[in-house]
Amino acid sequence: MRRFEATQLVLRLAGDSPIVSNLGPSSDELWHAGHRDRNFYTYGNMGLCSSIALGMAMATDEQIISLDGDGSILMNMGTVASIGREKPKNLTVIVWDNEQWGQTGGQTSHTGTGTDLEQVARSCGIARTKTVTDLEDLEAAVTEALASDGPNFIVAKIEEAGYLSVAPVEPEFTLYRFRNTFVAPRQPGD
Amino acid sequence: MNWAEQIVKTLKDWETSMIVYVPDISIDQVTSLIDKDPYFRLVSATREEEAIGIAVGSYAAGRNAAVFMQSSGFGNSVNALASLCIPARTPIPMFINLRGGPGEFNIAQVVMGRAVIPIMDQLGLPHFILEDDGKMDKLLDGAMKLCHANRQPMAICLTQMLHGGKIA
Repeated sequence: MRRFEATQLVLRLAGDSPIVSNLGPSSDELWHAGHRDRNFYTYGNMGLCSSIALGMAMATDEQIISLDGDGSILMNMGTVASIGREKPKNLTVIVWDNEQWGQTGGQTSHTGTGTDLEQVARSCGIARTKTVTDLEDLEAAVTEALASDGPNFIVAKIEEAGYLSVAPVEPEFTLYRFRNTFVAPRQPGD
Repeated sequence: MNWAEQIVKTLKDWETSMIVYVPDISIDQVTSLIDKDPYFRLVSATREEEAIGIAVGSYAAGRNAAVFMQSSGFGNSVNALASLCIPARTPIPMFINLRGGPGEFNIAQVVMGRAVIPIMDQLGLPHFILEDDGKMDKLLDGAMKLCHANRQPMAICLTQMLHGGKIA
């Protein structure tokens, strides 16, 4: 399964739900798949994608989707424990697992040497978990997740297959646009 | 109203109801009040960098958030401040138990404690040190106003002179 096609699929299933994307290709591909105000692209903050999504899920009742990566989750595995502790019903974490640090030269990550992130999530108290390897199973897993009480944790094994161009995203604008879908911005005369 | 109650009042005045923290014996005087107050959601993070991420997510979805931590843990949060909060412009107030000042007993707390202010200066972020509770209401209110006007993180450093220090 290629990440871009999987991202297009998730975006289609998400409807109007907010999506947070991990730094690098996950954010670039989300932008290419379909830019919208409710995409929260990250470009730094290594490891914090699902922490940001957790904060969103506790601040709103809307379904929140995190498009994280194996390397990112490994950098901040404690946040899986926090998700298991807080148990937000409206959070779905999808981990694009290519078993490598793709951005830094393709070094093998710990999921390539035996770490099973689905089992990590289970041991942290997240009951609804799944590992999928193709688009059909991903569609079924995400559809079920968005229709059920979470938290949901889906590990999607992907093959690394080239990069699309870097998305022209400004973090300040990303936050401003995203937040304004939750908080009505002031208007002239207010 | 003691210093801890004053902080709780200020958080409410600024509609800051999501509180993310990594436990600390001195700031527990505040976080234990927050824990008992249904106005707040108190969230325990495993690490300070994670706490910043959770707080930013909450703010992005429309609910103001603050972070409580110790100065040693501030060292774990620097990249989150530099690569998330500052580029995205997020007003996250940080309440930091500042170790390494008068009364410190632990050599391992001194260096990071004394590095907090220089690091905040390097990041260009405002900070205030509280050594007693005189005029604390005005300072806290003004600091929160600045934080939101600047739309950047801000640190309120709580010292042993204020809270009585670590009991250990």
